Amino acid sequence: MDVFLTSRIVSDVLGGVTNGVIYGLVALSLVLVWRSTGILNFAQGAMPMMATYVGMVAFGHFFGYWISVVIAVLVGFLIGAGTERVLVRPLYGKPEINPVVVMVGFLTVLEAVAAAIWSSTPRSLTTPFSPIDFRLGAKPFALSAFSVYQIVTAIVVMVLVAVLFRFTNLGLQLRASALAPEVSRLLGVRVNRMLTLGWTLSTGVGTVTAILVSSNFFTGLTPQVMDGIFAFGFIAAAVGGLDSPVGSIIAGVVIGIILQFVGDYVNSNAIILVALAILIVSLMARPNGVFSAVKTRRV
Amino acid sequence: MKFQLQRQAIFATGVMVLGVVISLLATPSLRDGLALAVLTLLALSGGAVLLSKRTRVTHPVLARAATSTSAVSVSLVATFFFSSTTNFNLAIGAAMAVTLVGLSFLTGVSGQVSLGNGAFMGVGAFAMAIWSNHHATTPIVVTLLISIVAGAIVGLLLGLPATRLRGPYLAGMTLAFAVAFPAILTYFNSWTGGDGGLQLPSAANPPHWLSALFVHGSSSLTSSTLWLTDITIVATGVAFFFMANLFTSRVGRAMRLVRDNEVAAELVGVNLNRTRVLAFVISSAYAALGGALWTFLNNSVTPATYSFALSIVILSVIVIGGIGTIPGALIGGLVYAYSTNVISWITNQTGLNPQGNFASQLNGIIFGGLLIVTMMLAPRGVAGVYYTLRHRRATRGDVVSPTKETYAEA
Repeated sequence: MDVFLTSRIVSDVLGGVTNGVIYGLVALSLVLVWRSTGILNFAQGAMPMMATYVGMVAFGHFFGYWISVVIAVLVGFLIGAGTERVLVRPLYGKPEINPVVVMVGFLTVLEAVAAAIWSSTPRSLTTPFSPIDFRLGAKPFALSAFSVYQIVTAIVVMVLVAVLFRFTNLGLQLRASALAPEVSRLLGVRVNRMLTLGWTLSTGVGTVTAILVSSNFFTGLTPQVMDGIFAFGFIAAAVGGLDSPVGSIIAGVVIGIILQFVGDYVNSNAIILVALAILIVSLMARPNGVFSAVKTRRV
Repeated sequence: MKFQLQRQAIFATGVMVLGVVISLLATPSLRDGLALAVLTLLALSGGAVLLSKRTRVTHPVLARAATSTSAVSVSLVATFFFSSTTNFNLAIGAAMAVTLVGLSFLTGVSGQVSLGNGAFMGVGAFAMAIWSNHHATTPIVVTLLISIVAGAIVGLLLGLPATRLRGPYLAGMTLAFAVAFPAILTYFNSWTGGDGGLQLPSAANPPHWLSALFVHGSSSLTSSTLWLTDITIVATGVAFFFMANLFTSRVGRAMRLVRDNEVAAELVGVNLNRTRVLAFVISSAYAALGGALWTFLNNSVTPATYSFALSIVILSVIVIGGIGTIPGALIGGLVYAYSTNVISWITNQTGLNPQGNFASQLNGIIFGGLLIVTMMLAPRGVAGVYYTLRHRRATRGDVVSPTKETYAEA
């Protein structure tokens, strides 16, 4: 049993799941914004990065880890809500490239401002969990206390979002205003408020992701830390279906596992090539996503 | 009647080009203000002839040919008077303008946007370097064409799946490509030379029958820069000529119809997928040409140039210049060529520490901020503001002028 658990295949699967939940979380935050406002938020990596810098670095001097995490997530909520109110609201109903361009501009500004204030050198965040793998007998088992923490946190966030959307009145309003804004408005749902809430939630989820990513012992926190992660998250969301939260999470985990095998057996530089290939093939085969229920748009 | 007008216009253009060539031949030895004065006079009279009512070229393709030819000739002659730093800056900006006009075309006629044009420039740049290292004797025109084909093939590969869908898939996919591009280069490092990049086998020099003309100052570096600049300007002129025709061609009109009304487009027999893919492939090919020209100008290529940041800068300058318009691409190219100077001027004026964090990030803050502000206030950029003003002036009087081509209705 020990031999099996410490084998290369099991290690790759475990490592893949550890990365995959991150891609799933980014994909989930993209889907939350896409479903509520029909915008693919290209600053979805940079906004949480900013919140992480403010919470974990600026406030991290004065408070312990957990309080800093709470502050970072609150800052994330604020950034999300503020962005929707100020930058995104004037863009509803405009041609679809306008929000893309504005959010790319916002991404640039956020990364530059973060680098101007905190410099581009990687910062390691102290975590209460060790990044060293557990051992089974003499051999390492490809999980550490930190990766368990990462997986558990991701699952908790996903479950919380699911509970909010499925079982609460607020979730019903959120879903209603995404599906049929006019009808919801007539029925007394404050649709504008729901749109803001969608962005708020999404940035909150993103901030948890960014904290997990930048707590990684090997990468640390840099202004560009989320660029690559965003690309993988977008691929997961597009493969799983931009309107399917469950699908994009599953796609994220599956892609994480596949890429871990690629990195282990082929070459770490082949990872992103394979990810692009997965995206191309899946968009050719199932244009609206593997798990999407919506039929292809016909003209 | 129409034919006669065209013949007059061709004649006028011919005289102008001849005059320009003559003064160009005379310039290196004289090197005084007289040549410049003659030149300016010729350019102005040529322009006046072209624009006057009697000799205005009625056939649009001929008119565009005349415009491109005169713009290129004037720029060529001007390069003989500029310092080599200015020439190099202009050439870098001209090559960037080629990339920009491709992106402008993509957005203006198909309503989509690519965030990976920096990476497509990289494809062209590396295709050029790799090909010249294996076949050093290939003429420059052929090498440039090969780079264009390389860009088009990669564009087709990415465009086929992404353009089938409405929505931000193309933007997202090209972003993923741009982020992935450095890793892709490293993966193929036996071809691309890894982090160090590639050198071209030999510096580009004018052919011997022209070399007398390109003796500018004393150092060989200067004459080489002059030659490189002039080649780049000619390539840019050709690229812009084709693009100007493409904007109003049957294909271009079909693309605009697809952008504005898919149902109508399909009803009149336009193939939606093919049209969208074609627009993207053309834009990738133009980006590849821009990148190849950069390799040619720098005589080398490094992977660090073609990072994700370049793609964002490309988007910024075209949005500032006017996305969806042809003049916007030229404005954007100029903005790009002089952005470094302007930013260091700002750093000096504000007394920031040039090595400090803030000064080094000023680029991103300014470009990103301008992206947001332009999109919010004037979505068609500088060129769009100009079109709006001209349209207002034209419609203010009693005479209603025929609608000018305004390319993007963003």
